[in-house]
Amino acid sequence: MARDLAIDLGTANTLVYMKGRGIVLNEPSVIAVNRQSGEVLATGHDAWDMIGRTPSYIVAVRPLRGGAITDFDITERMIRLLLQRVGVSRFTRPKVVICVPSAITEVERRAVTDATRRAGASDAQLIEQPMAAAIGANLPIDEPVGNMVIDIGGGTTETAVISLGGIVALEAVRVGSFDIDAAIQNYVRREHGVAIGERTAEEIKIQIGSAEPGPEDRSADIRGRDLVTGLPKTVRLTAEEVRFAIDEPVAAMVASVKRCLAKAPPELAQDFLARGMYLVGGGGMLRGLAQRIERETEVPVKMSPQPLEAVVLGAGHCIENYQALRGMFMSARR
Amino acid sequence: MIALSFITWVFTILACISGGALLVLVYLDNRKSRIDDGIAKFQRHIDALSPEARRTSVHRNNPDDRRFR
Repeated sequence: MARDLAIDLGTANTLVYMKGRGIVLNEPSVIAVNRQSGEVLATGHDAWDMIGRTPSYIVAVRPLRGGAITDFDITERMIRLLLQRVGVSRFTRPKVVICVPSAITEVERRAVTDATRRAGASDAQLIEQPMAAAIGANLPIDEPVGNMVIDIGGGTTETAVISLGGIVALEAVRVGSFDIDAAIQNYVRREHGVAIGERTAEEIKIQIGSAEPGPEDRSADIRGRDLVTGLPKTVRLTAEEVRFAIDEPVAAMVASVKRCLAKAPPELAQDFLARGMYLVGGGGMLRGLAQRIERETEVPVKMSPQPLEAVVLGAGHCIENYQALRGMFMSARR
Repeated sequence: MIALSFITWVFTILACISGGALLVLVYLDNRKSRIDDGIAKFQRHIDALSPEARRTSVHRNNPDDRRFR
């Protein structure tokens, strides 16, 4: 008998929660495929190490962009491998709850459920990421009070107001931490004439990236390829430059939060001032982002204790209480 | 012959009326239970989201959370 599963199929990372066991898998949503034979060569951390460093016959890709499947076949194979790794076989077909961005279209939803069913699930149900995040972040969503959660993932930023177990207001944009990485890549290319890869851009973001000036502002030496000479080159990048480079995606995230606040009913809006907003997701870990949102909205922002795991923990809670929480699944509300 | 036919008709009509009344009663009873179902279902939904219900799933995976220990 297979244990039912909850999967946070994120643009950046995939986490799997097994009923009765907790989180059993957490790795990058990357798959490496042999372009000639079509064989899968690696997934997760092994495939992530290959990004930008593969020979021409190997391609290491992220099959999801903006929370949506860009390559159906590769996504199905990735889910199949994930299920195999957590013990799902041909004869054990578990029920699966998958977290998806609320902004995905009907076609994209169907792609996710079809890929999961074809990969070995007996039933595939979808749940919106901000709802799962609110459950996983331990917000008191069973009470008649306004709970606001901001989930910043690799490809999307979703803000939701939740009360009495349901979504009251929702705002989602397809801007996430990968857009911040891309903005850094573009800036270094434009201002310094150096090409850098997406992994280097991510490292710069983690090391010196920030949304607000802070006491820890540093600079870092980065290595890339000179666009004129084609030779390796090192340039020094300051925290202020990075802040300038990433201002556009950061501003889009903050604007999305403001739009959600404007949609919230006035009775709930007063709760936010007292209780604050909760930030989850890997993108929310950008230095100074909570302070920037707080400054622009004048509402306190708190960081969830487990920003990376909140979504899958919430979905895991739904799989533990499958019958009682069936109403939360996207199919139940259509 | 005529008397037998009359009694048959009376019993048939009585049976129809009783059957109809029974159906109405069953419908009303079902309707009442459907209303109760909605309340019970919502209560189960809310209860499943309570901090106590989340103890086994969310808290178990959070080493820093000692609220329920």
